[in-house]
Formats: sequence, C-alpha cells, structure tokens
Amino acid sequence: MYAGGVQALRGVDLSIDKGEFVFVVGPSGAGKSTLLSMIYRGTVPTRGQVWVAGRNIARLRWHEVPLLRRRIGIVFQDFKLLPDRSVYDNVAFALEVIETSSREIAKRVPLALDMVGLAHKAQAMPDELAGGEQQRVAIARAIVNDPFIVIADEPTGNLDPDTSMDIMDLLCDINMRGTTVIMATHNQLVVDRLRRRVVQLNDGAVVRDELRGGYCGEA
Amino acid sequence: MKLRTMAMLGGQALRSLRKTPALTSIMVVMACMAAVSLFAVFAVNLTAIGSQLQSQVQIRVFLDQNAPPDDKEALGRSIKALPGVTKVGYVPKDEALNRLRLQMGESGFFLSDLEHNPLPDSFDVSLARAEDARAVADGIWKLKGVSDVTYGQKWVDNLVSALRVLWGITGVVACLALIGASLIVSNTIRLSVFARRKEIEIMKLVGATDGFILFPFVMEGLVIGIVGSFAAAGLVAAGYLGLVTWVESVASFIPIMKDPIHMGFATIGTVAFGAAAGLAGSAISVRRYLKV
Repeated sequence: MYAGGVQALRGVDLSIDKGEFVFVVGPSGAGKSTLLSMIYRGTVPTRGQVWVAGRNIARLRWHEVPLLRRRIGIVFQDFKLLPDRSVYDNVAFALEVIETSSREIAKRVPLALDMVGLAHKAQAMPDELAGGEQQRVAIARAIVNDPFIVIADEPTGNLDPDTSMDIMDLLCDINMRGTTVIMATHNQLVVDRLRRRVVQLNDGAVVRDELRGGYCGEA
Repeated sequence: MKLRTMAMLGGQALRSLRKTPALTSIMVVMACMAAVSLFAVFAVNLTAIGSQLQSQVQIRVFLDQNAPPDDKEALGRSIKALPGVTKVGYVPKDEALNRLRLQMGESGFFLSDLEHNPLPDSFDVSLARAEDARAVADGIWKLKGVSDVTYGQKWVDNLVSALRVLWGITGVVACLALIGASLIVSNTIRLSVFARRKEIEIMKLVGATDGFILFPFVMEGLVIGIVGSFAAAGLVAAGYLGLVTWVESVASFIPIMKDPIHMGFATIGTVAFGAAAGLAGSAISVRRYLKV
C-alpha cells in the first residue's frame, strides 16, 4: 500500500527458486514494477514478508539494505547510464561505490564487458551507442558484481524486436550460469518465444503462474 | 572508509563545487562571517577597554565626623570583609584636602583661606569587579558610622549594561549569520544533489552505503564554509591591522588590542564558525533532499 492509499499488490504468494528465469507480465499498473522493487527493497510492503536468500528483507535494517543490493543486479528500461562517463567507467562505477579495489575493478570490468560483447567499445560514451548497446552496458553493470539475482524491469521496452532478442539471449546466458533472472515485460514476442515461467499480475494480484507459459496463457 | 575512496569522494565534491553556484555561496558565507567577525572584534575591544576602566572603579566611603577612632577602624575591617572588596585604604581628612588641592592646581588657591578642613575622613574601597559596586555600596550603607557612599554609580552601570547589549547584539548577529550561511550552503547542496540525482539513484541501486553517498555533499558544505569564512577572517584581519597601525599613529591613548595570540584565536574562531555553518547547511539538505 503506497502513501495516498493506492494498493499496488494484494495477496501475492510467490516462490522463485534459485536459477529460475521468470517473466512477470500484466497490464500497466498491475503491480509488476512494485513486485520487482520489493525484491531489492526499493519498496517495503505494508504487510507480509519478502524472503530473499533466506532473509525476510521486509524487516531488514537500513544499514543492511546496501549489502542486499550488492548481491542483486538491476536493469531498467531507461538504462540509467551516467552520460558523462565512458562505458568502462559506467560499469566500474558499480564497483567503485562499494569500495572494490582498483585491481579487482581492472579485472572484473573487462570480463563483464566481454560477456555483453562490448569490450571493443569500453572507451565510448553512452550517447555514442545504440539503444541495444546501452542496455548491454546496463546489463554489464548489473552483473559485474556477480549477483545471484538479476532483476530486469522492462529491459526491452525501448528496443526494436531484433535488438530485444539479442538482449534476451544475453539474459538467458546469464541465467544459464546459475543466476536467477526475474523480468517484468510487455513484450509478447520474447515471452512467447522463450517459453519460461510466466507470472501474470492483474490489479495487484497473481492471476496466472505457468511453468512454460506464453504471454497470454494457454487460452 | 578507505583512503583511496575518501580521495575519490573528495574529488567528486570539488568537481561538484565547479558545477554548482558555489562561488555565490562562498561570497555570502564570507559576508556573514565578516559581519560576525567585525562585531566580535568591536565587542572584544570595548570589553577590554571596559575591563580597564572597571579595574579603576573605586567606592569612596565618607565617615561620620563624630565617630570615635576605634569605630573607624572597626568600620574599615567590616568593609574589607564584604564580598567583592579587594582593598580598603583609609584617607584622613587632611590627606583628602591635599588631594583636592593637587587636583585643583592653581584654581585651589581659595582652599588656603579655609579656617578649618570641611572634608570628612574617608575610605577608598577597591573592587574585584565593577558590577559589584552597587551591591558593595548597599552593604556599606548598612554599616554604622557611614555618612555617605559614592562610586560613580551611573557610568559603571551604563558601561556594564552597554557591554551586555553589545555582546547581545553580537550574539544575535552570530545567530543570524549562522542561519543565513547555513541556508545558502543548504541551497547549494540541494542544487548539487539535484545535479547528481541520477548518479545517486544508481549508487543506491548498486549498494553504496549511506555514508558513501553523503560524504561528498558534507565535504562540499564544509569546503564552502571554510573557504568563505577563511576569506572573511583574512579580510577582517587585514582591515584590523590597518586600523591598529592608524590608531597607534594618530590616537595612541586608545587601548586597541593587537596581540597575535588573540588575532590567531579570532581567525580560528571565524573559520570554525564558518565550518559549522557549512556542516549545518549540508546536514539540512542531506536530510531533506537526499533520502538515503
């Protein structure tokens, strides 16, 4: 329940196993982003529990929140890159702010950029990149700290179908390495093509939870 | 926090200072701190002059002419026993007349024509603090054998209350300057937070601690406060040194303070006050706009 009385989610009972790939679908305002936000403690539920890696994070103390977020990679539709920093620096930023050593940064950033296929554009600035490439940088930043969950909130929302599928391939690769991926999306094409677990929300409630579902369900 | 991290965050704070209207803030902080310094310098000097004058304050106690000598001695002891009294000197009436003659110089010729000395015996009473003059005088009045008590009551009271008012005004100016400087620093930090809101959002999402996020903004406020107040202290010190030189050459009888220890303390005090204003300004904005 948000201040102002808007009830974003109600009666959600959901369990996601380690290493799963889950699509969260539903119309705008269904509560997809709020659900994802609860996993990284961007939103605290007014009632109920959110268990992540064996801890109820709804009861997490404020100084423990950064430690939780260091173990979660987050990707957004609008990329959230810093325009005045190079690709390399954008990815390194995620490690710098958690006080990782320079040596470790120099080791991990090229690996992350290599994984998303942007090692050759490390010195480019974000505005010199296409949308798909910018999203790859955002993904590199999300995975550079080896998170156990990657949360992606409409990561293909600003991309054309081909680029969207490239991004999905990348997220599948990350998932194949054992990282749990939870992705909110409106993109019917990718949900239908990948056939992964689909959790459908409507008006704040889970109305469908299908193991190898499509965007619109079996009906 | 690691040294490397602190250096990085310090660099961020300095970069941020270049992007926000920090120079305006520094000028305003400087003006506020200069006002406080000027008032403080004025008040300190007047207090010093006041202390010097106060140390010269004496109560004169005139004795009942018919009192026997033993009573006069007892009265002297009683006065000495009063709280706040440091010294009691007996002035026989002949000595009083001599003093009067000396004071009047050539105009005192008529004193030679007097058939008998009209002045009474008296005590000169020295005090530890001029503020106690009224209380001590009241105490003396209650003693036996006293015919009159004088102590330049009016000007002592006026001086004490004028100094109190001056320090009060200095306090009010200091409070206003602290509020003004804090608000301007707070506004600069708010702009700085706004300019870096995207960066802050990402920092939070990737797990930066609150301290890590806050540090550059606190540093920024501190730097504005220190630079502004240091400039103010420099200006006031330069102006004051000029004034000291001028006073010494033109009106050397005015006791103006000029020792380097006091000047050093004044500079350190101003800079510390400015730093406090900077920190207070940062704290206001960080609490309000940086909901970490």
